[in-house]
Amino acid sequence: MLRRLAVISALAAVAFAALPARSARRPRHGGTLRVEIGASVASLDPDVEAATAEEAAAKWQIDSLIFDHRDADGEFAGAAGSGPFRVTAFEAGKRAVLAANEEFREGRPFVDAVEIAMGRGAHERLVDLELNKTDFAQILPQDARRAAELGVRVSASQPDELLALVFVSGNAAATSSARTTSQAPGHAAGQALSLAIDRVAIVNFILQKTGEAAGGLLPQWSSGTAFLFPAAAPSPADLEHAKELWKQIAPSAALVLGYDSADPLEQSVAERIVVNAKEAGMSVRAQAMPGASAGADKSRGAAGQATHVDVELVRWRMTSPLPGVALKDFLARIFLGPLVGVEAGAFPEAASPEDIYKQQRAVLNTYRVVPLVWLPQVYGLNARVRDWKAPGPGGNWPLADVWLDTETPTPAQTPLPTGVR
Amino acid sequence: MAKLGDEVAAAMSPTAVALSVENISSLDASDVAAIGAALREQLQHHSFALPAANSTAAQSAVPLQLTLSESASEYLWVVQIPGDSAGTNSVPVMMVSVSKSNFPEAEPGEQSLSLEKRFVWKHSERFLDFALLKDSSSGQSLLLILEARRLEIYEPSGAGWQLSRSTPIPPMAALSRDSEGRISLKEGKIWFKGFECVGDPDLTGVVQCKISPPNHNIVERMTIPGLPNSLGTLVYGECRGETISVYTGEGDWTQTDFLQGYLISLGPISAVAVGDAIQVRGPVISLQPERDTSAVRAIIRNLKTEEYEAYIVTATCGN
Repeated sequence: MLRRLAVISALAAVAFAALPARSARRPRHGGTLRVEIGASVASLDPDVEAATAEEAAAKWQIDSLIFDHRDADGEFAGAAGSGPFRVTAFEAGKRAVLAANEEFREGRPFVDAVEIAMGRGAHERLVDLELNKTDFAQILPQDARRAAELGVRVSASQPDELLALVFVSGNAAATSSARTTSQAPGHAAGQALSLAIDRVAIVNFILQKTGEAAGGLLPQWSSGTAFLFPAAAPSPADLEHAKELWKQIAPSAALVLGYDSADPLEQSVAERIVVNAKEAGMSVRAQAMPGASAGADKSRGAAGQATHVDVELVRWRMTSPLPGVALKDFLARIFLGPLVGVEAGAFPEAASPEDIYKQQRAVLNTYRVVPLVWLPQVYGLNARVRDWKAPGPGGNWPLADVWLDTETPTPAQTPLPTGVR
Repeated sequence: MAKLGDEVAAAMSPTAVALSVENISSLDASDVAAIGAALREQLQHHSFALPAANSTAAQSAVPLQLTLSESASEYLWVVQIPGDSAGTNSVPVMMVSVSKSNFPEAEPGEQSLSLEKRFVWKHSERFLDFALLKDSSSGQSLLLILEARRLEIYEPSGAGWQLSRSTPIPPMAALSRDSEGRISLKEGKIWFKGFECVGDPDLTGVVQCKISPPNHNIVERMTIPGLPNSLGTLVYGECRGETISVYTGEGDWTQTDFLQGYLISLGPISAVAVGDAIQVRGPVISLQPERDTSAVRAIIRNLKTEEYEAYIVTATCGN
């Protein structure tokens, strides 16, 4: 079954990355690449802190185009314009124009310029891609299938963003009456929720099959051990087990599930979880919380404490394709959030696959972190964009390698046959 | 495989086991069969019984599942008792990791070679070779430029490179009008005709040279049907299961040139040009393989500007 899923995923990736037939031609120089982003970047100065996680992510991408290298802390260093592009125009929060750096030591980029329009909403970006008003824009995973149906070229990365439930530290009132005293607070409720949630349905219906059900803290392509953390749809026995666990807890009020009010995906998933929980006899209430804008890397925790919630949805981006590095970053978040105060087990610097597996197992057995789905980064591309390759975790948009095929007619430019209007 | 067999033996008393093998990696069926057979052999070596699948003994055997998986960097072979999704069984999950280099990739279908050149540096004076590396202490990018009588080290500066220091190469032989030299970062050496140099502690430090043993570093050129009589080098990596090489055209140093990718097969030995050639603005005067990557370092004398230009040319095998 897993192999079949892997094959299907690979086929989907190929279909998404499908290029026009004349893709073997040599790269061409010239043209302006039109980019749209959701964030409004106030400053490109690496020393100026971004107001939101979404702005920080967008700023990091732009800075990676204009700075040649980063220092030991990973911060961009040197002079702006030492990278493949230099800034020729910048309107804070609205637009930026970058010109190719003729002297870039790794070679001049193929395109002459990159024009970045900021503050474009997800719907606007999709419409502009469809109407050929932009060449490149990130689109929401749940919109990938619709975008492809609208004729937009879609490129998806390996799934590298985890959508998970985490129990909010200190807000475990609903679970504090657990009769099994050997279990940590939240353990039984977390286990019951984990058993009741239909992850496969979330992937198939909410994400329109753009993503993978998650049982572990790392995806299969990175760790190779995700298959040891099954994420299949709940069986009748799983639902019975969830009911039993919930009866043991006998909470006085419904569990409050927090989600980012600005994130439509989180809202849909939260509502789905409420339905799944009800099917297992559990009482869960979804509660919108003010948070970062949709699509950004979110690791709130504190937000969950400001608005009373027992459990909340989080989205964690991997920072590296290497499983040891990515897990170490996740563990730092986990032991500062849902497992704050719990002593972290030893995790060696050069962790073996077995160390990585055992560490995931230890965290997941607390049931204070419940993985739900893996999301890819999804990009919409104009037909004239060539040599685009979706970056892996921690990578930046390789816009210096992209070239524009000016001979490829866009649908809007294609002359209509005589008599067709 | 012996390690995995040892782990199973350490976790379970010898008994009858029914081993099933599932492959969720990119390994092909023949590798999967070979790995399964190797584990069976190891288990028998540890006195486990492996009854035939349809036998009555198999019905009471302990089920064991071997899953062949892979991570971003290596293969993983995992043995577990099936159905233990919570990892609570008395028999733990056992796994070993295996380098992907132990298994050649499956032969792809219609793959082709594509060459891409990336400009690195240029200079009015002739240089023999160049290399990009990271400074071991600061992590900063460095550019080594090898000339006939010195090794220059450049550091990033703004949009380009700035000379940081210059290390003289002790004269070990009369200067040739057609000097040849090669940097080998892997070996930490510089090779010249007749002598070789090592850096202390590496090529960014002091350079000491000695005369090479007679016939050392001389490679007999072998004629391979299909390859041009020109400058060329093998490239790290394979395409269609064959060795990649890159060769120049056959013109002289007054003519523009090109670089063409070839695939060399061994039985019978022959070479076939694959993919499009890339044109360059002057003769290619040096072509050296890059370490651990399917790329070559090319130095081209630009006939229009009369400058010497350094490029990294990457060979990509793809559909």
